[in-house]
Amino acid sequence: MNSRLVVRPNLCIGCRTCELACSFTHSADGKPGRSRIFMLDGGHEKLWVTVTCLQCDDPACVKSCLVGALRRNEQTGAIELNQETCVKCMACVAACPFGCAILDHTHDRVVKCDLCGGDPACARFCPTKALDYRPIAQAAKKAG
Amino acid sequence: MATVTIQVNGRAVRAEKGEMLLAVLRREKIDIPATCNHEAVEAFGACRLCTVEITRDEWKGWKNYVTSCLYPVEAGLIVRTHSDTVIELRRTLLDLQLARHPRTPLIQQMAAEYGVLKTSYEEAPDGDDCILCALCTRVCDAMGFRAISTVGRGHGKRVAPPLDQPPPDCVGCLACAQICPTGFITYKEFGAGREIWGKQFQMVTCTRCGAPTITREFADNLAARREIPREYFDVCDACHRAELAGTMGRIAQWNREEAAR
Repeated sequence: MNSRLVVRPNLCIGCRTCELACSFTHSADGKPGRSRIFMLDGGHEKLWVTVTCLQCDDPACVKSCLVGALRRNEQTGAIELNQETCVKCMACVAACPFGCAILDHTHDRVVKCDLCGGDPACARFCPTKALDYRPIAQAAKKAG
Repeated sequence: MATVTIQVNGRAVRAEKGEMLLAVLRREKIDIPATCNHEAVEAFGACRLCTVEITRDEWKGWKNYVTSCLYPVEAGLIVRTHSDTVIELRRTLLDLQLARHPRTPLIQQMAAEYGVLKTSYEEAPDGDDCILCALCTRVCDAMGFRAISTVGRGHGKRVAPPLDQPPPDCVGCLACAQICPTGFITYKEFGAGREIWGKQFQMVTCTRCGAPTITREFADNLAARREIPREYFDVCDACHRAELAGTMGRIAQWNREEAAR
């Protein structure tokens, strides 16, 4: 795990390009999937916050999964959901304290951010770099 | 784990020693029919449809037919997945399945793929959609509830809760209904409630918006068994996200004001 997805709400212009990028990256059967990233109201004027999975160190979703469908990918640091193992019991959807495991109604499956396997499309398409995927040392320095 | 090489339909394929043959074949994108296989549970060998032909050089032409879901891979294995005999075996199995479940779309479709459009046996007049794959009971066991089980033997075998009463150990997670390949297991949902196996459940409703999430029994069970704070379950996913956006918004606004100063 070398990189981290950094969210900077002050740079966000609320264009929802990240949601589109996510939907189309995770499309299946010719239909776009439900976006795993959400552009939400930050509660102040001209303030938008993109919310997506925080890839917690002690993840409630992984603890809640009784069939072991959720595992951390040690290379990317992302917690990935194995669709072949998932039994759609909704435990992770209910357990995540940030609401970032969700039900994709179109494809009838539970989905969550997997950092696109190490190259998140949302960050690639973000026009203002409000979303940025960069090495951890750099991410910590800039944030501090 | 050691990597071994086996031969599948004349092609060399790498696999981990000891992993089940079906997993290897599926990874190689070979279409093997199976109705009782799911990654959430251990292989069971109920449907027998994943049967393949195996042999080895030292067997001098002798062959064996095994369910690939239960056969551990070892070096030197020679596999044929669609030999004439294998196809005939699968066709017979599907013919029998179609006799017992003549109106089940999954069975009709799988049988049609193997050229069985109508069963050659007598159709069961009361054929239901339960193909006895036991995925429901196995997933219930795997999740640690053990609320349902197969009961009876032979013709009378079926899936049921203990004594056909509402199962005390069921938490209403619906995993059995979701995993059922034929949709035989049904449930009802009404407002903030749910009913499955004759047992009624109250849902946890979001304290912010009132949306139902999972059953109270399931939330209590997860909180106790997996050490997840119970209050995580009190808010729905959408309200959790809004809450996180609000928190991050407050920090961002504070940053803005600091920068302006």
